Amino acid sequence: MIGFLQPLALLGLVAVAIPPLLHLLGRRLPPTVMFPAVRYLTATEREHSRRLKLRNLLLLILRMAVILFVVLAAARPVARVASGTGHPATAVALVVDNSLSAGAVVRGRRVLDVLVDRAREVMRRVESGDRLWLVLGDGLPRRVGRAEALETLDSLTPWPVRLDVTEAVRVAARVLRDEALPAREVVLLSDLQASALSAGEAVAVRVLVWQPPEVPDNRGIDSAYVEPVLWAPAGEVVVRLGGSFTEPAALRLATEGRDLAGAVAGAGDVVTLAATVPLRGWLAARVELDPDELRADDSWWLALRIVEPAAVRTVGEVGRFVEDALDVLQEGGRVRRGDEVSLADRPTTGITILFPPADPSLVGAVNRALAVRGVAWRVGEIVQGEWSLTGEVEPASGAAVYRRHRLLGDGAVLVRAAGEPWLVRAGDQVIVASRMEEAWTTLPVRAAFIPFLDVLVNQVAARESWIVRAAPGATARLPAAARAVLLPAGEVTVPSDGRLPAPRAPGVYFLRGPRGDTVGALEVNHDRRESRLETATARSVRATLGDQARLLSDRGMDRELFEGERRADVTGLLLAAAIVAALAELGLASAGGAKRGT
Amino acid sequence: MASLVSTRRLDLLNPYEVAQLGGIELVARGVVEGFLAGMHRSPFRGFSVEFAEHRPYQPGDELRYLDWKILGRADRLFVKQYEEETNLRSMIVLDASRSMDWTGDERRLTKLEYAKRLVAALSLVLLRQRDATGLIGFDERVRTVVRARARHRHWWQLLAALVALDAGQGTVAEPALRRVTDLLRRRGLVLFVSDLLLERDLALLALQYLRHRGHQVIVFHIMDPAELSLEGPPEARFEDPETGGAMVARPRELRAVYEATVRRTIGEWRAACRGGGIDYHHVLTDTPFGYVLRRAAASRSRLG
Repeated sequence: MIGFLQPLALLGLVAVAIPPLLHLLGRRLPPTVMFPAVRYLTATEREHSRRLKLRNLLLLILRMAVILFVVLAAARPVARVASGTGHPATAVALVVDNSLSAGAVVRGRRVLDVLVDRAREVMRRVESGDRLWLVLGDGLPRRVGRAEALETLDSLTPWPVRLDVTEAVRVAARVLRDEALPAREVVLLSDLQASALSAGEAVAVRVLVWQPPEVPDNRGIDSAYVEPVLWAPAGEVVVRLGGSFTEPAALRLATEGRDLAGAVAGAGDVVTLAATVPLRGWLAARVELDPDELRADDSWWLALRIVEPAAVRTVGEVGRFVEDALDVLQEGGRVRRGDEVSLADRPTTGITILFPPADPSLVGAVNRALAVRGVAWRVGEIVQGEWSLTGEVEPASGAAVYRRHRLLGDGAVLVRAAGEPWLVRAGDQVIVASRMEEAWTTLPVRAAFIPFLDVLVNQVAARESWIVRAAPGATARLPAAARAVLLPAGEVTVPSDGRLPAPRAPGVYFLRGPRGDTVGALEVNHDRRESRLETATARSVRATLGDQARLLSDRGMDRELFEGERRADVTGLLLAAAIVAALAELGLASAGGAKRGT
Repeated sequence: MASLVSTRRLDLLNPYEVAQLGGIELVARGVVEGFLAGMHRSPFRGFSVEFAEHRPYQPGDELRYLDWKILGRADRLFVKQYEEETNLRSMIVLDASRSMDWTGDERRLTKLEYAKRLVAALSLVLLRQRDATGLIGFDERVRTVVRARARHRHWWQLLAALVALDAGQGTVAEPALRRVTDLLRRRGLVLFVSDLLLERDLALLALQYLRHRGHQVIVFHIMDPAELSLEGPPEARFEDPETGGAMVARPRELRAVYEATVRRTIGEWRAACRGGGIDYHHVLTDTPFGYVLRRAAASRSRLG
């Protein structure tokens, strides 16, 4: 039995027809030469026609054979080499894709169950001399025995994670590379989503890929977010639906056991669900889509914070842009007048958003007042230039700054300009390095200024509300204000670098501040790429995993499994045959001419 | 012409270059002069029994036939001619078929042009010996007949017939050879000049019949050097200008066996002629005329 690693090259077999075609074309309308001795020629032809025809036929066959051998060699043929029973000791890595998409149901069965059945078939053929590795949805290789692997497979469920199958195969191949056994194979059992493939280095071992025969259409929630972050008490949730199943389905926003809003939408739609929540404080809400064949992507978890609008006042000369923006926010119900938060050009009692004074001579008094309140930051000299703002307060990002005070000290830096602190917080005091005037920054004349002030007043100064989003199992980067995460198993302290693996189960996990209050939430939801069930082609599999990867049918998998060492590459043999045929052709063709001198 | 003859042996030059010097008559004269100058005795001479007349000495005449009396009396060179010699009758049979009108190279004479010049030279040599010489030109029929005469002016008649003889159609030699038997009642010499692209068995039969009639027969097989081998484009349709027959062939494939076939054919002609007492000469059209004359003279003397 011969197989081909590059079967597309077999299309070149049509080139075998070139010699006969050239022969036929060459026979058309040859030039006429007047030659009286034609009778000698006809006598010659009569006497040698059989030999000449045989020679020409042989030449034609040899030329066709040269092309045939070269094309077959280009197709990288491998032939099965007969051996005894069983198979050579093989290091095999079994990659079972139990990512979220494996939970899809086809004809009443989960895709994962079909994959596990096929995995058991593989396990059945594993022998004592083989070394077995198991790679699951987390992409980590586990050295397992046959019994342990079967036990793992028996209890395997779809995980709400995304698996980059090409990366998992590469990891498995690297593990096998260190194995001393003569044969190495990676067996990938996956629904083989096109979205699960990624570019990268080719794999240097045989990869046998198998996928279930069918995958269903699917629709899921691609993303959802609240707008604004703080509801007072009304707000909106913006939902984007994805997938290939465009038939409309019902969509609901629910919290605390009650539906807040609903809509009907299909894949590709973006829906805004408006709701008013009569409760106050932090709530975990969920957007739910009518169920389809893949349930795991039909819901999306959200954190809601419902608060009263902050009560604000201005102290001193904070500039007309700030005054006007507060009026707009007040009209919109986002703030109210009061003394909960002061926007001032000097430190005041209570929560203060401090803008630099218009008169630079007052900076010294400002610094003394900060020192009195125990604030570690000081307002330094004015510097001029042009910088762009970057940091955690999203509306400020990208605004240009032309003039600013240097902020000297140590503490939480929320926004930076050219890497230096521009917006900092120390206790009740939030210090801004530039006045909100056109000569200092473009921020007050940008559309983002009112959202910036909204976030500054309601989120940064008065009520810290940090929303962090992560996929299950992915590393979440938590804000500096978060000291711990509330998980079902208990409170987990946030590492000093703020990086923490997100829980595998989708949900809302609240963040605790240093004073024990809730300062934000970690929203864990599925990766929308797992909703895309469209499958990859054999070509894309080879393109991402290399020429040794083969997408196989059931029979193909049965045939190819553990056959790595039994198959011999006959490319060299065919090339040698091509050379021999070419030499024979050369010899035969030149033999006719060589006889001339004899 | 005289200077050319005196300074260059035209009989030994390339026939094409010689042909550029003038018409058949001039060429034949030049060739014969050169040819005779290199001979020590007359080429086609038999032994004599009866004196007939004197004629001026020609270079190549044997000194034994010089008339010493005239030399001593008049200080002029004359040789004696004998009756037997003047009675030799020769007939030249020239193939003027379409196949003769061909050359494989523009810088070579066609077979027919070469043969005409050769015949003119041969006839001049014969007539200078007082041999009666005639001509039959043929293709698929007898086209020209000039009866054999020994007069020196007869050569001009032969030349006129040669010039007027252009290439005809097919080749059938038997009628022409049969006509020879009518024209040569006594034993004589028959010179058959042809490319031999004809029915060999019939032609041989006719030649052998002549031989049986007591004639001496010499065959000049005229070939263009390009006929010895097979050249041309990678694949070509080779057409016989005489019969119109054609075949498609690849010279590279057939060249070797073709050459073998030609060699074998020549060998068969030579063997068949030798077996029948016929003298055979294979003549390529780039062979200087003098060489051919010399070979013919040698065979003539050998045949007696």
